[in-house]
Order: sequence, then C-alpha cells, then structure tokens
Amino acid sequence: MFKKGAIIFLAVLLVGVYIGLVLAAEKKGNDRKGKYLFRKNCRSCHVEGGSAKELSPVSKTQAEWEKAFKEYESLSCKDEWRKLSDQDRLDIFTYLHEHAYDSPSPIKCS
Amino acid sequence: MAKRSQRAVSRRGFLKASTAAAAAVSLGRGKVLHALVPAGKATPRTGPKDVYSACDMCFNKCGLIARVDDLGVVRKLDPNPKFHKSRGMLCARGNAGVRQLYDPDRLKYPLLRKGKRGEGRWQRLSWDQALDYAAEKLQAIGEKYTRCGVLFMAGTDLQSQFVHRFAEVFGSYNVISHESNCLLSRNRAFLDTFGEVPVPDVLNCKYLIMAGANRFEALVTPDSIDLMTALKKGSKLVVLDPRFTKTAALATEWHPIRPGTDMAFFLAVAHVLIEEGLYDKAFVAQKTFGFERLAPHIRQYPPEWAEKECEIPAAHIRRIARELAAAAPAAMVYPGRRSSDYENSTQIRRAFAIVNALLGNWDRPGGLTVARKVPLKKPPYDAPFYEDNPDGRIDEGRSLMMFGEEGSFKHARDAVIEGKPYPVKGFFTYKTNPMQTGANRKKTVRMIETLDFMLTVDIAMSDTAWMADLVLPAPSYLERRDPVSALQGASACACVITRDPVVKPLFEAKPVVWIVGELAKRLGLGEFFDFTMDAYRKAQLKKLPGAEAALKKDGVYHHPGKLYGVYEGKPFKTLSKKIELYNQRYEKAGIDPMPVYRPPKPVPDGHFRLVVGRSAYITQGSTTNNVLLHELVPENTLWLHPKPARRLGIRPGDWVVVSSNVGTQRLKVRVTEETREDTVYMDSGFGVLSKGLTRVFGKGASIVEILEDFNDEISGNMAMHETFVTVKRG
Amino acid sequence: MKSKPHKKYAIVIDTFKCFDCKACMIACKVENNVPEGFWRNWVRHTGGVKGRRTQFQPGQCMQCDAPSCVAACPVGATYKQEDGLVVIDPAKCIGCGNCVTACPYGARYRNPLSHTADKCDFCEHRLKRGEEPACVITCPTKARIFGDLNDPESRVSRLMKEERLVQVINPVFDTRPNIYYWAGTRLLDWPKIPTLPGGVHMPKAFWKTPMEERT
Repeated sequence: MFKKGAIIFLAVLLVGVYIGLVLAAEKKGNDRKGKYLFRKNCRSCHVEGGSAKELSPVSKTQAEWEKAFKEYESLSCKDEWRKLSDQDRLDIFTYLHEHAYDSPSPIKCS
Repeated sequence: MAKRSQRAVSRRGFLKASTAAAAAVSLGRGKVLHALVPAGKATPRTGPKDVYSACDMCFNKCGLIARVDDLGVVRKLDPNPKFHKSRGMLCARGNAGVRQLYDPDRLKYPLLRKGKRGEGRWQRLSWDQALDYAAEKLQAIGEKYTRCGVLFMAGTDLQSQFVHRFAEVFGSYNVISHESNCLLSRNRAFLDTFGEVPVPDVLNCKYLIMAGANRFEALVTPDSIDLMTALKKGSKLVVLDPRFTKTAALATEWHPIRPGTDMAFFLAVAHVLIEEGLYDKAFVAQKTFGFERLAPHIRQYPPEWAEKECEIPAAHIRRIARELAAAAPAAMVYPGRRSSDYENSTQIRRAFAIVNALLGNWDRPGGLTVARKVPLKKPPYDAPFYEDNPDGRIDEGRSLMMFGEEGSFKHARDAVIEGKPYPVKGFFTYKTNPMQTGANRKKTVRMIETLDFMLTVDIAMSDTAWMADLVLPAPSYLERRDPVSALQGASACACVITRDPVVKPLFEAKPVVWIVGELAKRLGLGEFFDFTMDAYRKAQLKKLPGAEAALKKDGVYHHPGKLYGVYEGKPFKTLSKKIELYNQRYEKAGIDPMPVYRPPKPVPDGHFRLVVGRSAYITQGSTTNNVLLHELVPENTLWLHPKPARRLGIRPGDWVVVSSNVGTQRLKVRVTEETREDTVYMDSGFGVLSKGLTRVFGKGASIVEILEDFNDEISGNMAMHETFVTVKRG
Repeated sequence: MKSKPHKKYAIVIDTFKCFDCKACMIACKVENNVPEGFWRNWVRHTGGVKGRRTQFQPGQCMQCDAPSCVAACPVGATYKQEDGLVVIDPAKCIGCGNCVTACPYGARYRNPLSHTADKCDFCEHRLKRGEEPACVITCPTKARIFGDLNDPESRVSRLMKEERLVQVINPVFDTRPNIYYWAGTRLLDWPKIPTLPGGVHMPKAFWKTPMEERT
C-alpha cells in the first residue's frame, strides 16, 4: 500500500518536471534496469577512451537529458537508439534523469 | 613466550632500560600478543622502518607514520607532518590505534554461531568451510526471495566499495550506508539549497555560529584544528548547545538553547538580516532564487518571537545577526555533520543554509566552499541484471526524498521486520555496527531474528557480529592493502590517500575485498573481482600521473585546485540554477518550500529529553574496548542537572535507571551544570551485549537501547533527539 | 659532541589552543610504555559553566633547574643532565618513592612492575634520533612548542623574548621549571607542596640545600 503511494508520489515529483516527454504511460521507468541497459548499450562507446564522449548521469542536467531523449533522431548514434524498445529507452532515461547533475539524487563520483 | 617478548623489547637500542622493562611487562598483559611477535626463525631482522598509512580509528583518515621495530612489531603511530588535511596531527584515538592492532579481543578465525542468537557459542571454521557455507546461504536466499532478499550494509571504509560492487553483481540493490544514522538530513538540506554539500572554510572564517555540532569533541579534520587556529587569530565562535560541550567551553559565547528550536533562532537571524537590510544584496539578487517569497515569509519570525521558543534573548539574536553580517562573507552558520536529531531536521538545516545564502558566503574565503574535483577513476564493470528482482529498494518511498544510494537504516529495518514490500532474509555487514548506532536496539534485534542468514565481517566481536550467524575476521587498517581514495580538506587540501600493509595480517584475518571475491567465485561471479589491488589502484590513478610517486614519497598526494570563485559564471546544480531559498521541488512534493517553524514536542512532566553527542575519545561502538581509550573513559554516565537531581533525590555518583518508551538502562549519574535542566546525555558505545569485548562488557549503559526510532520526514535519516526519558535512583 | 655548547631543553605551552583531546597523553603512554593506571603527562582544566572561557592546561615533568626530586633521592638515581633533562637511572633506583612525593607537580609515579620511579624525560630517546617528543608532534593545534633555550634562533627562545610567558611555581619555593605557559594561563592549584612519603613536610631549606651544594 505504502509502495503504491510512493509510485504516485514519485510520478508527480519527477514526471511533473518533464511533462510532454515520452510518457504516454503514466509509469516511470526502472532506473536500475536503465543503469544496466545504459552500460550495455551506451557505455561501449561513451566511455573514457571510447569512440564517443564519456557519459554518466551527472554529465547533463535533467533538462538536457530530456532534450537528448526527445531529439535522439538527430544524434549520430540514432541507429543504436532505434534498436532499443520504448521501454528500454524509458528505463535508460529514468536512470540518467533521476541521477542527473542537478537532480535531488546525483550519483556519487568515486 | 614471555622471554621472547622481553628479548624483542630489549633489542631496541634507543630505549632506555627503564622504559624497556615497562614495555616488556605492559605488552605482556595480553597473552595473545606473544603470539603476534613473529617466531624467531621466520623473522629476518631488517632494522626498524617507518611506513606511511592513514588512520582508521574514525572516519577522518588522518595521515600517519607507523614506527615498526626490527622484529616487525608496530611500536608507535606518529602523525604524518606532510599530511595537510589533518594538519600533521594524530588524536588520542589515532595514537591508540596500535592497541587496536594488537588487541587480544580481535577476531582470529571464522566463527559459526552454534547456540541461539546472542548466546555467544561459536564453532571455529576454516576459511573454505566458512566461504562455502556463506555462498550456499546467499544463493539459497537469492533463489527463494530474489537477490534483493539480501541486505548489505557497509560503513565508511576504503574497501566498502567492494562490498557495494559485490552487492550489485550479486543482484541486490538493498545497500544501506551508515550515513542514514548520521548526516543525511544535513546533506539533503544543503544539496537542496546550493545543489551540493559544501566544505566549510573554517580556517578563514571570522565569525562562526555552531549549532548542533561539537567540533572540539566530535573531531573533523581539518575543521576542528582550523577552528582553534581561527579563534587564536581572533575569530568569534558562538555555540548553541543544550550541553556545555568542550566546544561551548572554548567558545566566545555559549547559549544553552532549548533543544529542537535551532530553526527559530536561524529564522530570526534571517529576519534581522532582511529587515535591517544586512544581507548581501548583490549576491542575493544575482545568485539566489525566491528571495521575494522568503522576505514576506520571514516576517512572522522576529527575534522577540524566537526568544520564547529558543530561550535566547532577542537582544542577543539581534546582536549576533548584526555581528554575523558585519563579518560576512567570512562568516558562516557551520553546516554541521551529524544531523540525525529531529523529524524535521532537513528543514532545520535548510534554515542554516538559507542564512548562509543571505550572508553571501558561498564560494568565498571564510565561507562555504565547494569540494574540489579529484579525477579519481572508478574502474567500470558491467553488472548483470536480474529480471526477477523487485522494482525498488525495500525502504523506497518511506520518506519523501531519500537518497537511493544511501537508503535509510531505520526504514530498511522496519521493512525487513514487516516483510514488506518483499521479504529480506539475508544481511551482510562490514565495518559498521548498527547494534550500537541504530536507535531502538530491540528493534534491530527483532530485525535480525527474522533473518535466515547474517554475515558480519569485522575486526572484533562487535555487538553486530555477536548477533550474526557467521563472523569473518578482517585485518585492521595497519595490515591491509587498500584502494586509493580522495579526501576533502577545505582550505588545507584535496588529497589522495591509500594504505599498504604496515605488518602482515595477524591470525587468519582476510580483507573484505578477498572475502567478497571468494564469495563471487563460488557464486559464478568471479570475473568481477578478477583484479589485483595494484592494478585496481593504477586504474583509479590513471588521470593522476603524479599521485603514485607522491604517495610513496610523502604518504599522501595533494591535488592542486581552485578553492574560491569556482562558481563564477557557473549555474548552480539546482532546478532554478540558483541557490534555492525557495525550493520548487519541495513545493511539488508537498514539502514546505521554505522552512516553516514547528515547535519541538514539549518535554512531558517528570521527563527529560535524551540527546546524543560525541566524545573525542570514542568512535561509537568501535573504540570503547581499546585498552588505552578505555582508561580515558571506562564507562559512560548520565549527565543530569543538579536541580532535577535534587528534586529526584539523586546524589552525585548514584546509580540511576533511565527509561523511555522502548527501553531501560542503568548507569551512574554525573550531576552537572553542563547540561540543561530539561536535557540528559550519555556517551555512546557502552552497555554492550558482546562478551567478546572483554574490557567494556558490563560497563555503562547503551544509549541505543533507550533511544526511540523516529526519522527525518524528508531524508529518512534517524531522528535521535525525539526521545523522552524518566530518571530515578536505583 | 662535548665541544658543542650544552642544550637547555624547554617546552612552551599555549593553553589557549588546547582543546583537551588528550592525544598527548595517549601518544606518551604508547611511546614510553607507561603502565595502565599511570600517566607521564596530563591535561588539567579550569571549570565552571559560567564566566570565562575554560582553559585546558597540559603539563608534565618540568625538567626543573632546581629539582626537589633530585634533592630527595637518597642514592643519586635521579639527576640533572647537561642538556637540562632530569633523568632516572633505573639500575640505581631503589624505588623508595621519595622523589614521587617530592615533586611539586605530581609528575612522577612508581612503576608497579619495575618498582622504579618514572616520569617524562621529553622522550630523550626520540631527541637522540633527532625527533621531537611524542606529545609535541601529535598535538592537533601544536599547543606545545619544544626547543633549546640555548639556541637563540629556536622558537622557544624567540617566544621567551617576544611573548609574555609564565611558569607554574609551587607555593613553597621555586624549583625553576623549564616549562613555560602562555601569559593568559590562569593559576590552578595544581602545584603542590613537596613532601616526603607519608606527607611529611620538610622545611624549605631541606629541599634547597642539596641543590645548592650541587651547583
């Protein structure tokens, strides 16, 4: 019971900030799954010494992550994005967004 | 055996005969020690040597030099004069570290519980037996309850990251830190105001208000030392504390504030700053968000109102606010550290943060500075994902804005007991002692009693280890090879430290990185621990080419970096990109966007408020059994003001019974004017259950047995000043 | 070595800076293997929640120039060295305890294990290695400043010239201690009148005469 309340609350808290984004469903993604999918699908290139700029949730602000996910078709790696399901993208978004540079829970650097 | 030890001592050329004689006998106290002196044939005499390390007697990690004699015995720990963060010092606990290493009470080999929990009957296991057993148990819990069915808790330690790594690859995100018993509400408040948790520049501060902090007893380096240096230079220190702590004793002025009313004081200070136009107008206009809402909000909180709440005369509040403004921006409300006090602690600390914002001290000398970036790398790994795991952490959603990576001990414990939202049946603890730090000890016991399997890695039979199923012996900090770690030392430095073994691990002690690596192997996850510590460190230091050589040469690497003006032209890490006097996220979450005063629950008739505090000779439950520190504080006492003592017929030195809604303890009283009439206090770390702590067992009382477990509504931090107790002779 | 001028070791203590962390006490205890229940140094303090700022006053053997403990020793086991240190030769010490009660500062104790007198010697073994005493280096705020008064460039010599310093002198006579305190140090009642074991008080001349003979 408590948990249900929590989900609604978090939806208000986090989703409320970026209305108009991907969220047709009133469900937030799974940030833990998102972390896994991010590492699996994105970090192979977005890693130090990789073929693209190193990325972690704190690389961008929440607004910047929103923009990136809205406009991924304009990114050079759009083909990689297309391979992901909507749910996968939502999970990855949730992970990055919830722990963004200006989020209430930024990931800790080492 | 005794002969061997005496010979060892008499070889020390620099010791005079008199002290050598004393040495032999005093070392002889613990019979175990003889076994620690390496056997003759295996002892190549290399001559005495000095080895750098970092202290681990509390969380500060001060630099030290271990003086090792030619038999490989650590004789003394001296401070590392090149270590800026600790200003080249080592405190009483740091000096007593050698007796943690050579403590006869240390855990010596793996132990399996044989009797009932807490009964103290153990069976010695080989490491293979212990690890096989643990892996089997973890696997079984993972299969039956999902892998999130194992809760992990690791304290502040350089190797805790490996416990976290193990938890993640094993598949549990139920990892809680010790911090939710300590400072999360402070972090929450400052993060939600400034976008990050500041590092106070105490050294250059001219006027400092310290509330809910006790820097001359709860030592934080370099703050504690810098505070004295600043005072010597003429800086002013105002202390608000219901107790006459040593910080109060050494302050410019001390105000025995009514507990729980700090917010009233700081709202009134903000009131004066705004009303009299004393705030930094340019700074506020440029860098803050919501001033136009704060100004009318604060009008309801004049000093004359605050006086009735906090019992500090309005004239003083006004004067202090003016003095603070006159010294700004080299003036501050010290953010503090442990803030596990009240149910609205985050909001209380938000009031601290807002006054700092009005003073315009952010990013300026003598104000609140920013942690300097040290580009340490965290070697990456790709943890597997377990599809059958539940969606969230076990403690998720139990407070309004929790930190996902820290969790809340209080909420996690409740969740385990309730089995909701899902069952957790395993518990892995390392270098943390919730039985001694988590308020409401009976509840911790109850939680542990619901478990299928509890594993504790520790160096001594702590109260937490005492309750476990399997206890694995870890080496002390002087016997370990650790990863590197970055530390923030305000104006002193940002630095990098590490540890190499000063001596080989004693007994069968094994570092936790090895333990989790062995468990991972047995669980088919060996690839995640397939590295040597040297390789790991090299990867961490990839971006710091000079660090390795500096660590070797000086025992520390100081990383250069700008301290002030870092935020010039840079947005703050908040929603508004400014300092949030008014927090919009709070508003959306139904939290007061600006601190609204709520008086503390009144102390009921015939009761006292029990407060928590620190002594410079005690690190919670981990040092009270140390032979040297035990001599300084052999037991704790209840601080009680003479007036209520008289009323209750209690004379100095009497035994008293202290009772709350959750527990009762008996200890000796210290009748003293050093606490308010409505407030009582006792040190933590006593009243232990573990008979494996032979020196401190049976001494004093346990404060966590009496403390009730309230929590900060926003962060989920424990709230330990909400407990009322009765006191009677007995 | 002998041709060099003698040293005169001294410590200047800034009581303003001490916050009673007791690092010096534990450092000393480990460095010198002081048995449980005894200390070679201490931190005393002014009390009271009202009035002035509390003062914590560290102390230890003052390496007096006119040491009553030396005067009280019947066998010459304790003596003053050329470098100013008052030391004990445990081979000669008979453990009578005269020196323990003779010290006006309570700086001595009888080691219950070796049955000989013991006290602070400014960590003489460390000085020989070119290191400062354990209590001095470990102090967070460096409230103790150690040095050679015969070296005009030393910090202690400069402090003697530049600062107003005081000494803690026992009420009966001046043993000429070599520990100096910051002038703001408030007098506590911790210097005691030296006695013989059993609290036998002796006239001032009893303590003074042997020293004068010696010098």
